[in-house]
Amino acid sequence: MNEVRERDPDLVLWQKGRSKAKSFYDTAFVKAIGSSKLGHGAFCSDAGYRALEYTIGTHAVLHPDFRFCNYMLSWGWNITNAGGNKFCWLTWPQHMVKARDRGMKITHIDPRLRSAGPFADNWLAIRPGTDMALALALCHELIAQDFIDRPYLRTYTNAPFLVREDGTVVKVTVGEGDEATDVALVWDEASGAAVPFGEATTPALEGSYEIEGQAVRPGYEVFKSHVAESTPEWAADITGLPAEQIRRVATEFGENALIGSTLVVDGVEVPHRPVGIMAYHMAQQELGFQTARAMTMVPMLVGAVGAAGGQLSDFTWKLHKNYAAFETIDVADPPYDFMLNKSKYYPINTGNPGVVAQVMLDPDRYGVERLPEVAILHMVNPLTAFPSQPEYMESYKKFNFVAVISPWLSETADYFADVVLPSATIEKYEGPISATNQYVEATTMRIPPMEPLFESKGEIDIYMDLCEAMGTLFGEGGYLEQVNKALGLVDDKASFAIPTDSKPTVRQIFDNWSLSQGIDEGIAFFEDPNQSVFVKGPMSPKKMYGYAYDPPFAGALHRFYGESLLDAQRQMKEKGAEEIYWQDYTALPTWRPPTMEGSPSDYEFYLISYHMIEHKQSRSSFVPLLAELAPAARMDINPMSASRLGIEDGDVVTVESHNAITGETRSLVTTAAFCDGLRPDTVGVPHHFGGWTHPQNKGQGASPNEIYFMGEGYVSNTADQAFHVKVKISKGGEL
Amino acid sequence: MAKYAMVVDLNRCQGCRACTEACKIENNTGQGMFWMHVFRFEDGAFPETRMSFLPRPCQHCDNAPCVKVCPTGARFKREDGIVLTDPDRCIGCRYCELACPYGVNYFNWQKPKDSQYSDVISWDDPDIQAITGGAYPPYKNPDLDKEWGPEGRRTAGGNHAKGVMEKCTFCVQRVEQGSLPACVDTCPVTALRFGDISDSESPVSRFIRENEAWSLLEEAGTKPSVFYVGGKPPSHSYKEVERPKARV
Repeated sequence: MNEVRERDPDLVLWQKGRSKAKSFYDTAFVKAIGSSKLGHGAFCSDAGYRALEYTIGTHAVLHPDFRFCNYMLSWGWNITNAGGNKFCWLTWPQHMVKARDRGMKITHIDPRLRSAGPFADNWLAIRPGTDMALALALCHELIAQDFIDRPYLRTYTNAPFLVREDGTVVKVTVGEGDEATDVALVWDEASGAAVPFGEATTPALEGSYEIEGQAVRPGYEVFKSHVAESTPEWAADITGLPAEQIRRVATEFGENALIGSTLVVDGVEVPHRPVGIMAYHMAQQELGFQTARAMTMVPMLVGAVGAAGGQLSDFTWKLHKNYAAFETIDVADPPYDFMLNKSKYYPINTGNPGVVAQVMLDPDRYGVERLPEVAILHMVNPLTAFPSQPEYMESYKKFNFVAVISPWLSETADYFADVVLPSATIEKYEGPISATNQYVEATTMRIPPMEPLFESKGEIDIYMDLCEAMGTLFGEGGYLEQVNKALGLVDDKASFAIPTDSKPTVRQIFDNWSLSQGIDEGIAFFEDPNQSVFVKGPMSPKKMYGYAYDPPFAGALHRFYGESLLDAQRQMKEKGAEEIYWQDYTALPTWRPPTMEGSPSDYEFYLISYHMIEHKQSRSSFVPLLAELAPAARMDINPMSASRLGIEDGDVVTVESHNAITGETRSLVTTAAFCDGLRPDTVGVPHHFGGWTHPQNKGQGASPNEIYFMGEGYVSNTADQAFHVKVKISKGGEL
Repeated sequence: MAKYAMVVDLNRCQGCRACTEACKIENNTGQGMFWMHVFRFEDGAFPETRMSFLPRPCQHCDNAPCVKVCPTGARFKREDGIVLTDPDRCIGCRYCELACPYGVNYFNWQKPKDSQYSDVISWDDPDIQAITGGAYPPYKNPDLDKEWGPEGRRTAGGNHAKGVMEKCTFCVQRVEQGSLPACVDTCPVTALRFGDISDSESPVSRFIRENEAWSLLEEAGTKPSVFYVGGKPPSHSYKEVERPKARV
């Protein structure tokens, strides 16, 4: 690794899948050795993260304020089987059942009813990949029925910005010299003139105006025109939902929003809009980024974003750095780095290991000159956990050296690892771990119940050993200094910093951190089973609600209209990007049929994958107690569809997918499981199986990741993976 | 004397089967045995489909048919309402299994060691034993082998001797030590409640009274000590989905 680092540290690729707790030790390692970095977000919910960072500045997707919410759209939320936005499984169901006790209604939007269990008051069995069309139709109806919170749109969004016919926003320069800034113009209804935003008493949201001979309209007016044809009847054809059902949901959402009302929460009066959306992993679809933007516009229209009972996202309104970064999106010329950052392919780039794999297989195609040579794979198993296996199989062979840090011999480790560094599971110190439930701030720590088993060590020990061997543990810029920075043991807390000239124990690191938090007992507090959770107190409404934040929404102006996206499209075109890359860089979410619709008609089913509550990603199916409850892969199919194909419950079936761009087909064999709570044009396969290194995996069957595709049409827009593909089903096959 | 009862709140149950697993860990039951089974049901054709969940422990009936048919008195009901099995008296005739309308009885076909979840790894391997100290995971809960209650019988499962019946005990070994049954303690959404219904003001009594509680197969006259709130009794149109499957 050091040999490669000396030539170019970027060519050392560190890749992480999942672990718990604050990732300070990861951050410190990457900074200490200067490597490139990849996460798991492109297979999780990052299209939604990017959409929310862009639109309202939060680093999260969507969840409602359950404490006061009365009407929730459970949009692709696998209520009874998975986590939701930001939290794992336990916390959200606890909030949900309490809200149900209060009478909160749930409209469940998902091809599968199975995911909602009995908690769906209303089920919209939507066709996979068409969520944007539904969101646009809901916006259309909210506008048509005048469920619009104009004060919010005028004050906290860029909806009043005047937009030219070419899509650019009219701006003027305010101030002089270093103080000069470009400010958007709005139409002041009081003076009947265009003035800089902030100077108008009542910025117009609607109407058409003229400035210096150019026709201009407020962004909201542009959006109104944009969704004018997006009627429930239009969306019905696309989504497979009855138009009256869409219209009714829009009406219920608008009525329950109580536009204009306020609520006093812990002494703070805030707008009260008890409607919201829970959405998370469903963002990983081809149109995911713009779909999540369109979905966010639904609560934006009624002023529910950041309101009591309304639409929340992160647990703070502190702006993510991408909010400012996305104000201008610069598209660079080649050569690109191997992740294609700032490229004409993915100007907004989540960082997708699959993209790296594709680039490694054909760097010339993507204008990439330098490829990674060394990989450190930490708790990540691309071969079974990510689409798509063939590309990883070939591309990872190109690494000169692969080190794996993992508690298990994963399939990826089995194929590629030169060295496996076995990591402990629970028998290690790990933290700090947020123990908040959204309403109370709290922190906890994992305390080892015993010494690490076999030859394993906790990750922090492994990273310290690695850095020591690499000569990057001590001194300025070394791992220990980076640990101090990542844990905030600097500046006014520098007295708690760990020394950078001697190797500490992990317990010492956490003891210093605990003391820095004002916990007098240090790590002993967390080691005491009668304490163990450090409760800071209730979350202040001034922190929780965007309207009450100081300044409101942390000073963000919510990007209803996405001018910089359109600008990115212009740059992509100028640099010769193909339409499939730039087509979704639009100022407003714009519906188009997903690429998969180009597959031949005999690929008549949509394949979705899903999470079962018994398992965790692809790393628990070998646990015998869990495998007894959820023993094997299967293909859920509606009995009506199965009957047409002559398939009985439990029959062996072959599922063949088709790549609408390349024509490639892939297949897996599994058993059919009848499921009435599933659209007849959709089949579902859980993603927990398909492993082969552990003897307990034997006979469990395949993973849908084996037949999904990466590349154009399936990795899109923000370099995020879509978990949709068209498939055909046939009876028979060899298990 | 307390009279124990359980209430299952179907308005809250997520069907997650954490209760099932908690039961297995606490009681070290063998493969394929689910003293606390959670049904997942579908009812109706698309798009009018509904889903429901139904946790089903032993109903600890006041008029328990399993007790009536037991020829040896191995199956008996305590004064506090808990229906238990004495493995030292059970002759394995399985009459209780036939008599019970709820399907909660399991017969131990194998020795405990063979029915556990260790069919891939050899726990007798000296290298493995060097690490495990000779233990056979999951470890044997010593409480299961103790004598409980005024009867002084090994009624907490008796460590699952081959050839005898077993079923949910309301975790008698925990209740007698002041704890809740493992399933109740584990449920993340408080869908399971447990308490003394001889006290009309106990939380569980009030919860039953304030909600329209019902019992499974009320027409059978078994008078269960397990009550349900919310949902409705399963009907013949219900289809069970996602059944657990014994691995051996």
